Amino acid sequence: MSEAALPPLFINSHRRNIPGSLAIWAAILAEMSEFAIMFIVYFLARAHNPVVFHEGPAKLNTTAGTMNTIVMLSSSYFVVRAVMAMRENQAKTSARWLWAAVACGATYLIIKYYEYTWNTAQGLATETNIFYAVYYYVTFNHFLHVGWGSAAMLWVIYRLNTGIYTQQEHEGLINVALYWHMIDLAWITIFPLLYVIR
Amino acid sequence: MMQTENKKFITKLWLLLISLTLFSAFMAERSHPGLLSVLIMAGVLAFKGRIIVDYFMELKQANPVLRKLMQIYFYVIPTLIILSWLFPQQIAEWTAL
Repeated sequence: MSEAALPPLFINSHRRNIPGSLAIWAAILAEMSEFAIMFIVYFLARAHNPVVFHEGPAKLNTTAGTMNTIVMLSSSYFVVRAVMAMRENQAKTSARWLWAAVACGATYLIIKYYEYTWNTAQGLATETNIFYAVYYYVTFNHFLHVGWGSAAMLWVIYRLNTGIYTQQEHEGLINVALYWHMIDLAWITIFPLLYVIR
Repeated sequence: MMQTENKKFITKLWLLLISLTLFSAFMAERSHPGLLSVLIMAGVLAFKGRIIVDYFMELKQANPVLRKLMQIYFYVIPTLIILSWLFPQQIAEWTAL
């Protein structure tokens, strides 16, 4: 494929046909491995404690979990639209889509805070049983990722507004977009494991 | 023109992912736990992961090694979901200290 035929996403890594930078992929694969270890812990704990893992999800706030899944999927969609807008050389539109994604990140954090408060009112805590210990460990870890992922998007918005990115060169935006999709991938895995499967 | 088609396609995928999430929530609240619901949930997870990896991360046309590395996650986790539901005792025995 000639360079001219390549989509802008691949401009900087076209020889390897990799979107974004190699560095962000090292980070993404490391983070995915970290979450994979947590999921292995979940499966082992589930095998050894089938009763608490059967009963645990029913006591969680499924509505909050569902809303957060919708919010995360929507934020990923907004990030895709931000990248598409930048490819059309529309930096302001791109920034607006990213603001929508940041709003989703903030909404996620608020819903999760509400959910933790709700759990406490129901008497659900890390020491309740191993299901809730795993639930808090995994979801709080993800909560932190959403926090710093949102902060990274704010940084990209700042750079968009200062005109640093161009239609041809906006690898920083691509990298943050890819990282945010990784955070979304982690959540769509967490949702069925902790809220749905009984 | 191409960009407009891409936007429509991505919007359709987003709505599909939202619909699958609402379906999962419905299953969680209404269905009886059983092998069928576990198979459906594992399938939904595999499908959602594939959509995000291939289209949101745009790995469908990208480096095949990187694409496989990301995709394998959504083969392994759904398989573990099914295995851990079908054979919890064997897994517990094999992993007992």
